This record gives sequence, structure tokens and C-alpha cells, in this order.
Amino acid sequence: MRLHRVWIALAHEDIGDQHRRTTLGPLWLLVNYLLFIGTFIFVFKTKDTDSAGYTAYASIGLVVWFYLMEMISLSVPLFSREGSFIQGTRLPLFVYVMRLTVQCIIRAAYSVAGCIVILLLSGLGISMEWLLSIPGLLLIVLATPAIVTVFAFLGAFFPDAQFIVGNIMRVGTFLTPVFWAYHGQGGIQNYAYHWNPFTYFLEVVRAPIASGEFPMHPFIVTAYISLAFWAIALLLLGRYRKRVVFLI
Amino acid sequence: MISVKLDNVGLAYRLYEKLTLTAPDRRLGGLGGKIGRSGGKQVVQALEDVSFELKAGDRLGLVGPNGAGKTTLLKVLYGIYQPSAGTVAIEGKVDALFNINIGFRPEATGRRNIVLRGLISGWTEAEIQEKMPEIIAFSELGDFIDVPFKTYSQGMAARLAFSAATALDPEILLMDEWIGAGDATFQEKAKRRMDELAEKAGIIVLASHNESLLESVCTKRMTLKNGRVESLTTKPAKRVGARAKS
Repeated sequence: MRLHRVWIALAHEDIGDQHRRTTLGPLWLLVNYLLFIGTFIFVFKTKDTDSAGYTAYASIGLVVWFYLMEMISLSVPLFSREGSFIQGTRLPLFVYVMRLTVQCIIRAAYSVAGCIVILLLSGLGISMEWLLSIPGLLLIVLATPAIVTVFAFLGAFFPDAQFIVGNIMRVGTFLTPVFWAYHGQGGIQNYAYHWNPFTYFLEVVRAPIASGEFPMHPFIVTAYISLAFWAIALLLLGRYRKRVVFLI
Repeated sequence: MISVKLDNVGLAYRLYEKLTLTAPDRRLGGLGGKIGRSGGKQVVQALEDVSFELKAGDRLGLVGPNGAGKTTLLKVLYGIYQPSAGTVAIEGKVDALFNINIGFRPEATGRRNIVLRGLISGWTEAEIQEKMPEIIAFSELGDFIDVPFKTYSQGMAARLAFSAATALDPEILLMDEWIGAGDATFQEKAKRRMDELAEKAGIIVLASHNESLLESVCTKRMTLKNGRVESLTTKPAKRVGARAKS
């Protein structure tokens, strides 16, 4: 843990490098998000959906979804990207995991800022219930290093995973209730809502703001999924840590 | 007490047949040895039955053709590769000079790069601040230290990398080839720095193809071939610093 300065410094440099010499710098992350959500609200807003409610629903859903998608897609090729470090230094693999985690969190912070602006503009009205989203956000952040670790190992041992995961995440944008809401429909939407782990990650943050109540059931499911990821991540780190160097 | 002891160390690893569209296969980079088959799987035997013992004051030179296992052995000693057979027992702090350019970021300033380099090497904040002036002075970069690394000439970049990489107090020092950096005057300086390092370090393991270098630095010489020790000879100890005048 005393290596925290390494990953914070590296993540900081990564973000800086991506935006060096641009005028807006990391604010581009905010612009990206606003543009995307603006388009979606414009396209999907219909007379029969309550517009303030839908704006909140989609904008929060998108923040969390972007975060999950970026984190998972970047973690699959993580170890091969860090190949020269892994083969040249003795830094533990966890440093690279945390480097990506911090990077994703910094980037997400810009989207969250954009999301709050949209919520304020949407006319939903601020309420104390918003604070109930914080445990959900914390839970996702706490799960991040474990999820990154699991997908990074997956990518190292099965290089094809990069393409499989990429496709799943792209399809997932539509199979996950990011833009559409579940109102007891049957068929595919029923399955896509209940049997999709991403649903619960979205709901723990979204429900308190969109419907004003604490989402106990999604919170418990998310907590179990996170624990499972941590268990697998620690197992992988314990057993296969030393094999990674031969695979990249 | 500083010491290194290897007992029948072997390193074998499987070659995985990868089915991807991604570019070149880098898994063989820096590795060598025999490729064999066991149970339908390709296995590389990079090291086999390597045993030796080093005590404080020993300077071991590793020689052998490309792919003989020199770098692999250094990486086993450093702890990057875990041996698949035998035991490695090391007492003392191990530092390595393999790829001195590792971790340098083109967009960051020279000063920031020294900090990053220090963090990667596991130095504390205080150690970095303490070494900073000395590294800057040694690199002779002057005001360029606060300019992005990408604007440096190759020689300047090499000088900074060398200065940062060698700013350590090693107990056990592992080196892959000698590092040439910068112009003639800087090379002279670099050589003196390496001599000082060699004097300070308790044990040195050096892989090189440079005969005169091995001759002047090393007290022991180990020839590797196909991952096996072909010969291990000890010669009468010599004063390490004597070579600086040559």
C-alpha cells in the first residue's frame, strides 16, 4: 500500500498526457458526456414519458454505464499494455490495477459533474434522497480494483477475450437498462433487466435520485457481485501473479 | 551478510499458441533457450540446473551467445521470473540496470520524470528530493530539466536516464550490458560512475559481450549455453577501480 504514490502519479500523468496541448484539456471529457446525453434526451424524449424523470434516469444511467464500459474494456489488455513495466520492474501487478482504477475514477468525476449540472437543469428539484446514491457509488468504486484484476487476468490468459468483451460491452449498451426503463414488460426486456448484473450496478446509484428510495435489493446484489469479484481477484493474484510475465 | 545462492535453478515455461489478430508476438523477447515439446505443448527451457554461490565482494560476469539465458538469469535474480525448479536464496537489497529508459514519459519535464522514475524504483519522497539535485547536476542538463522530455536530443535523454538509473546505493547490482550514454566526455564520466557503483555494491552480476570489460570488472566468470552452465571460473581478485584509467 505504500506504493499508492506510484499509481496516483502514473494515473495523473496518463490523464494529463491524453489532453496535453488541447485548450480544454480534461474538460473534453465533460463535453463528450454532455453532447452524448444531450442527443439521447433529445431523441428519446416523448410526450408520454415524464421528461424530467427520464432526463435524470438516462443521465445517471449513462454516467455509470460509461464508467463500467470504459473500466472493463481498458482492463482486458491491461497487462500487455504494461508489458515493459512488468518485464522490467518488480512493481506488483496491483500497481497497474490501481493505476487504471484511479484513471477511470478521475475521468468519471468529469461525467459526474456534467450529470449534476443536467440534473439541476432538468427541473427535478434537489432533495436529500440524492445522498442515498453515495453508498452505491462507493460500492462501485470499491469493486473496481477487483473487476479490473479479473478482466486483466482474463485478457492475459485468453487474448481473444479482448474482442469478446468488446462486443459484449457494445451489445450491453442496449441490453442494459441505460436508456430504457423497465415497467414489468415481459420477453427479452424482462431477462435483460433481471438477469443482467449491470442493471444492479446502475440501480444502486440511479434509484435514489430517480425514484427517491434506497434500492435495498440491488444494493445487496451489487455487494454480492463485488465480493465475488474480490474473491476471484485475490485468488488470481495469489496463484497466477508470477505467470503473467510469461504471457505478455 | 550479503549473499546470493542458487541451487539447481531451472526455468521452463509454456509457449501458448495464441489466436489473435493483434500484432507481433513479444513473448520471446529477451528470452532464449531450448524449445521442446511435452505432451503436445511447446515448452521453452530457458534455464536448467544453474547453481552458484556469491559472497560480498564477488563480481560475476555472465557470458554466452545470444539466447543463452543471461538476461533470463538476471531476471530470475531480480525476482521478475519465478524459477520453475530449484531454489534462489538472496540476502541484501537487489537493484537492477536493465532498461534504463523504462517509465520515461515524453510529455513530462525532466524533473517530473526523475520523480516518476524514483517512485517506480521504490524510493521515498525524501529520497527523491535528496537525490534530485545530484541527478540534475550529473546529467548536465541545466535549464533543460524543466522542459518536456520529448524536446531532448537522444544524447540528452540518455544522459538523464543514466543519471537517474544509477543514483542508487546498491547492495547487489544486476546489469545487462554496459550502458553507453552521451558524448565522449559524458561517457568518461559515466564510466567513473559505474566504477563507483561497482566499488559500493557488495555483489555485481554483469551480463556482457564486452571481453575487456568483463576482464577488468569481474572476479568470476560464468559461461552459459542453452540455459546451462558450461563453465564457472574464479580468477584472483583485482582492484575494480583500476580500469578507470584505460
